[in-house]
Amino acid sequence: MLSAVLEQTVNGLMAGSVYVLVALGMVLIYGVMHVLNFAHGVLLMVGAYVCHFFFTRVTESYVLAILLSVIVLAILGIALERAVFRPLHGNLRNQVIASLGLILVFEHLVIAVWGPNALQMKVPATAALVPIGELRFPLQHLLVIGVTLAVVLALFFFLKVSKFGTAIRATSQDRMAAMVVGIPVERIDWMTFGLGTALAALGGALIGPLFLVFPQMGDAPMVKGLAGILLGGMGSVPGAVIGGFIIGIAESVSTLFLPTDYRDSVAFTVMILILLAWPRGLFGVRVRGED
Amino acid sequence: MKRFFAVVLLLLASGAAAQEKLAIGIITSLSGPMAAPGKFQMNGFRLAEEEINSGGGFTVGGRKYLVELKVYDTRANPAEGASAMQRLATVDKVPMVLGELHSGVAAAAAPVAQDYSVPLILTIPTGPNLTEQGNRFLFRVNANNDQLTRALADFIAKQGWTPLSFIAWNNDAGRGGVNGMKKLLGDPKIGYVGYFNVGEVDFSSHVSNIRAASARAVMLLMDEEPGSLAIKQIRDAGLKTQLVGTLAMGSDRFLKRLDAQRLEGMVQYNAFPPNANVPGIRTFSERYRKKYGEEAHGFAAQSYDGLKLAVTALQKAGKIDGRALRDALAGIEYEGVIGRIKFDAKGQAHPPVYVTQWCADGKRRILYPENLKADCGAG
Repeated sequence: MLSAVLEQTVNGLMAGSVYVLVALGMVLIYGVMHVLNFAHGVLLMVGAYVCHFFFTRVTESYVLAILLSVIVLAILGIALERAVFRPLHGNLRNQVIASLGLILVFEHLVIAVWGPNALQMKVPATAALVPIGELRFPLQHLLVIGVTLAVVLALFFFLKVSKFGTAIRATSQDRMAAMVVGIPVERIDWMTFGLGTALAALGGALIGPLFLVFPQMGDAPMVKGLAGILLGGMGSVPGAVIGGFIIGIAESVSTLFLPTDYRDSVAFTVMILILLAWPRGLFGVRVRGED
Repeated sequence: MKRFFAVVLLLLASGAAAQEKLAIGIITSLSGPMAAPGKFQMNGFRLAEEEINSGGGFTVGGRKYLVELKVYDTRANPAEGASAMQRLATVDKVPMVLGELHSGVAAAAAPVAQDYSVPLILTIPTGPNLTEQGNRFLFRVNANNDQLTRALADFIAKQGWTPLSFIAWNNDAGRGGVNGMKKLLGDPKIGYVGYFNVGEVDFSSHVSNIRAASARAVMLLMDEEPGSLAIKQIRDAGLKTQLVGTLAMGSDRFLKRLDAQRLEGMVQYNAFPPNANVPGIRTFSERYRKKYGEEAHGFAAQSYDGLKLAVTALQKAGKIDGRALRDALAGIEYEGVIGRIKFDAKGQAHPPVYVTQWCADGKRRILYPENLKADCGAG
């Protein structure tokens, strides 16, 4: 039993890592632009396809393929901010509708280019098995967790220390005040969008070899990531991290006690229970002007 | 204008001199999520068409015909299936229709077949209900899920591989399969049962539960894509449990997704062992490999038999008429590549069901039925 719990905790951390990467991107974009980008899941999927393309066609190096995919998706994110979200600035409803439309656009584009069937991505370097006690985990599993933790730390550091990070925080706290002190908020907008989509691409590139690369692969991480954001507190970066991991671990460990098809209900029940106790989420803050 | 008529007359005359063609309707998936298995179905039909026509065609009521296939793509969409079937019956006026892969599409097309008295011969869908609707114009060449499950349950009981655990689709195929097995083996012989939703790719929670349940064998009720992921995750986690798979997991195509090391020892039910040392199967497999350059597939064999059987029924009926054809089909007994095909009162045939096992070198052996047992390389 103990080993089953340990195994599920590691699996939950792995699933949670992907939710965290999605949630971080969404929360950063939400903070700065006050838009919930529902297309974030499909951007993760596009990231996985781009990584698959680079890995199978261009370079032998998985690390390089991840980097290239992250760069391509960052550029795509910037383009989306410019072409779709900026023209709709100030109209939240239309921005949300546009992000829903982007889901259809990207899913069908991917199907048109790569076909509807799932692609395999075999990365020999990370297929090795790591024994932990009597359990064995693929190296890729641990890689996903390790890379996510490293990225989370780097992001915290970046937001706290760097000038750009400080500007992002300032813009999310008060856009008008940020403009007054000379922060170029429009530049912050597109840079944050690029950063957010780059994180989604990283998520896709990391789970591609573990599972398959297919058009719907981003759906579950998007919904679970969103649950993580709500649970952690809308707009809170540490909240998104803790929330994503809580959802991942809760749904994995629950399968030891409940039928596995209840997995999704467990994730959302946990979210609802936490919101009942802390209506603003674990790290939520009262925002001036709200209710 | 005169010249135009002359050309038309000339064409008609030359057409009459050549052999007359008889169109037979085909519904299948050329695109959409079932395009890949749809290709096997078409390969089977095309091979049969080629053989029938190069052999000079066939005679119905004293007139000689060549086969012509009128193909419609149903894209795994029930509405498309019903409308294609209707078009074939009313516009193309074909005497019969063959094909389809998807049980849902077949269910939508079948009532249309009955409405227009055009026999529909299924060659791949396995939903057991299809032949339980009292539709006298529906026939099925291949074994349905109940027949496949019965053979497998018999085999598993003989091997003593119980309690049997499951990872199954959370849909009627998966739940139906588990319930069927439960009925056949009895509740106490069923271990852990885990369902997963279509599109889920992480089976790690099932792996923990199977380990905790110390299951003797695990049945994977799913198709190729999740199947390859589940096997990889089970083996990578170090579980040595006996694996039991479905039709989709006994082909070279499946081997390419994984590797012989992870598959070794796994068994699966199969409708057609392409390498069996049976004369009919051997010739078919050789012809198939020659034409398409790959291992013959069960779906192709079933469809090949379907078309050959349809032509035999046409000859037997002696006229091109849906009702006469239906009666001919009901009484037919045909020796096909997949075995003897004879329809019961519900229109369901009872071809043999095999259980094959993966060998260490990526070949397969036949374990069941007992009288056809054969070693590595035969399955």
